[in-house]
Amino acid sequence: MSQATAERPASRGDARAKATGATLYTADFDHSGALHVAVVRSDVPSGKIASVDRSAAEAVPGVVGVLLADDLPGVLCGRRVRDMPLIARGVVRYAGERVAVVVADTRAAAETAASLVEVDITELPAVFDPVDALDEAAPRVHEAPWSYPGAVVTEVMHPNLQSLVEAGDPDATAKRLAESAFSVEATYTIPSTKQGYLEPQAWLAVPQSDGSIRLRGTTKSPYRLREQVSTCLGLSPGELEVEPTPLGGDFGGKGAPGDAPLCVALARRFRRPVRLVLRSAEDLTATDARHPARVTVRIGCDPDGRLTAMSFDAVFAGGAYASHKPGVTVNLHGAVEAALGYKLPAWSTRSRVVYTNTVPKGHMRAPGATASVFAVESALDELAARAGIDPAALRAANLLGDGDRDAYGHSWEQARGAQTLEAALAALVTSASVPVPAGWSSGTGIAVYCRPTSAASTSLRLIPASDGSFVVEVPIPETGTGNHMVVRELLARALGVSADLVEVRQVATSQLPGDPGVGGSRVTVGMAVAVEELARRWAASEHDGAVEVESKASYPPVLSYAAQIARVAVDPDTGQVKVLELLSAVDVARVVNPVAHQLQIDGGAVMGFGSAVMEDSLEQDGLVWAANLGELKLPCAADVPRLTTILLEGGLGIGDANVKSVGELTNVAVPAAVANAVANAVGVRVRDLPVSAEKVWHALQASESGKVAR
Amino acid sequence: MRLELTLNGSPVDLDEDPTATLLDWLRSLGLTGTKEGCGIGVCGACTVLGDGRPISACLTLIGTLDGVSVLTVEGVAQSEPTLVEAFVDCEAMQCGICTPGHVMAAAAAKLAGIGASADVDSEIRYWLEGNLCRCTGYETIVAALRSYLER
Repeated sequence: MSQATAERPASRGDARAKATGATLYTADFDHSGALHVAVVRSDVPSGKIASVDRSAAEAVPGVVGVLLADDLPGVLCGRRVRDMPLIARGVVRYAGERVAVVVADTRAAAETAASLVEVDITELPAVFDPVDALDEAAPRVHEAPWSYPGAVVTEVMHPNLQSLVEAGDPDATAKRLAESAFSVEATYTIPSTKQGYLEPQAWLAVPQSDGSIRLRGTTKSPYRLREQVSTCLGLSPGELEVEPTPLGGDFGGKGAPGDAPLCVALARRFRRPVRLVLRSAEDLTATDARHPARVTVRIGCDPDGRLTAMSFDAVFAGGAYASHKPGVTVNLHGAVEAALGYKLPAWSTRSRVVYTNTVPKGHMRAPGATASVFAVESALDELAARAGIDPAALRAANLLGDGDRDAYGHSWEQARGAQTLEAALAALVTSASVPVPAGWSSGTGIAVYCRPTSAASTSLRLIPASDGSFVVEVPIPETGTGNHMVVRELLARALGVSADLVEVRQVATSQLPGDPGVGGSRVTVGMAVAVEELARRWAASEHDGAVEVESKASYPPVLSYAAQIARVAVDPDTGQVKVLELLSAVDVARVVNPVAHQLQIDGGAVMGFGSAVMEDSLEQDGLVWAANLGELKLPCAADVPRLTTILLEGGLGIGDANVKSVGELTNVAVPAAVANAVANAVGVRVRDLPVSAEKVWHALQASESGKVAR
Repeated sequence: MRLELTLNGSPVDLDEDPTATLLDWLRSLGLTGTKEGCGIGVCGACTVLGDGRPISACLTLIGTLDGVSVLTVEGVAQSEPTLVEAFVDCEAMQCGICTPGHVMAAAAAKLAGIGASADVDSEIRYWLEGNLCRCTGYETIVAALRSYLER
């Protein structure tokens, strides 16, 4: 990490409150007279609800109501596809689905009563694997998924499809691959994991005297959430206000509506405040998780190491509902962009997201990219080995350069993939060695991630005070990334005042025109553009009152690269993998705040490290077995390898501030870098994440090279 | 059950259900700096000190605390300003939900007298093993604890 952090003054406005425990998150707000909610969940992945006996639960002192689907509006909710009921009606489609909810005067009464609700579910055939789910004879998760509002599938498609994206030219690609001097085909898989935020999802819905609801909760997209809940429950504008609240971690998991529609519906029904704070086990087993994926890559090159073609075919298990995905295609951008980073004379991409009887999947830091980059960057190393070419040289010869057109035909003014890779390789040479345990084999592996980002529309308001200070009102919560600090620093610069004179304040959803929420690596860029417009408007004003902007942010997108090298040691006797160092070269434009920027890089690298060697939700037959944060195996401080960062500053960014994204860069390529390093160390290829000791050991046993290594 | 304990330096007499958790009791007093993360003692977000040692408030029943001195992040914020300053100066947080627990782990590490070995970094990481952070990658948290030990 960058040095001298201890010497520089803190620029996080929230640092002291967070270090003293004073910051209030959703669960820290209590409301006298609030009803507490506990959820009764299905323990089977697919079934018909035969009966629900509420009598014992209703007899628990303090219980106000035990509700089934028929007791609440029969509506469907979602970010784009509205396919998920508030409470399961007739059938359950995943283990963890809400079958009944208990509302009571205390959390203890609600939870006790929930345990006493007798649910009888007749199990139905279920399907868990997304490839199995595409079989003609597979059980249907939904009868008519095309009929849901917002659906992007049609009646002629397989009934278990949530989304299909196809691009490129499969025939030309197949032809070029067949003619290639060298080609490889392999299938790579990743399991589900959770975003791993420590703050479980939580909601507090408070009815107002005018009948409207004020909602506080774990959302990174307050304006979108207001729209989604209002659409779901048929509320008119003004009937729902989402309150500003910081998040205890997000990483994509807190964009889904979660239990917000349920809590608003309950608050409207009972006309009392309603509070639902998930227990961690519920959060891990019943809320939006990362899509497990199976990706098949065919890639070829000519004798000189020029790529000839790539076919990319991804199948993602979307879970029982598509409701947690916001994209226009209801697909995952990482898969759609899989062919983006390299010069490919021919290519084809297919990405299918499939309904399965598993917990509904959502977004996690660069959605789809971890699976896609693990597959493509592993396949590149396999191709390099087959062709007898150095893996770094193969990449350097084929990465997009300035002015090159990507697979989709877009010409990029700047593309610094090769320079970023070169910087990583140069740092590897100078990086101090890390001791390798006696008898272990060591190796290095490379992987590159290319990420396009653009600015998004947002809105801001500047309120001057008579003492020369300013309050800037923002529409998004501080999720932890430092987005409020970025606004403060950029605005202070644009106004020519000290950052101490600028206070950033998130406001409720009625107070600003709108915002798409935190995500897509667009916040710093979008905020920078909006801050510039705000400062211009302030400069042109009479300086006698608030000014507001609604930024439309029409700037061309830019590319960011991360080239990462893993140094590993592998115990040939046990297969144990120790990651010694993660070296991240990052292509950046102008850095707004060096410490916050570095935290995004380090945190990303460690999350990627977790995906590479540790994390797995352990989904089996529709049940999530990693039902606590220990079993999920999130990295702790002692697990973390040495982290080395090289910044390639001075790149082309967006707006006068010349900034680009960093939040979803360094987590993505680490698993491929580690798998490539393991192959380099002991000659075996693990194509299934995480790269565990067991998998390496079995691969060593199965391979000739394993015998050689011993 | 009647018991006497010390909370953030002040004696407290209480008559509580002994099976209530320390976490729920603290939060019912408005001491919400102690967070519920995993609820089963693996994430460290509810770390407090019991007689100077780090304990998970989510697993500690009130009935076990007779005569014990309990220190929470709210207490440490008053009694150990240099610890808070170290976390602030090093920007040892992002979302902040784990930060009170890390602050308490740091307080416990200093009380235990760490920092004597040549490999302070490993010692620090050992003392932080019980506290998860998903945001930062731990580098600035380790730096904060090192800085605190030096102050």
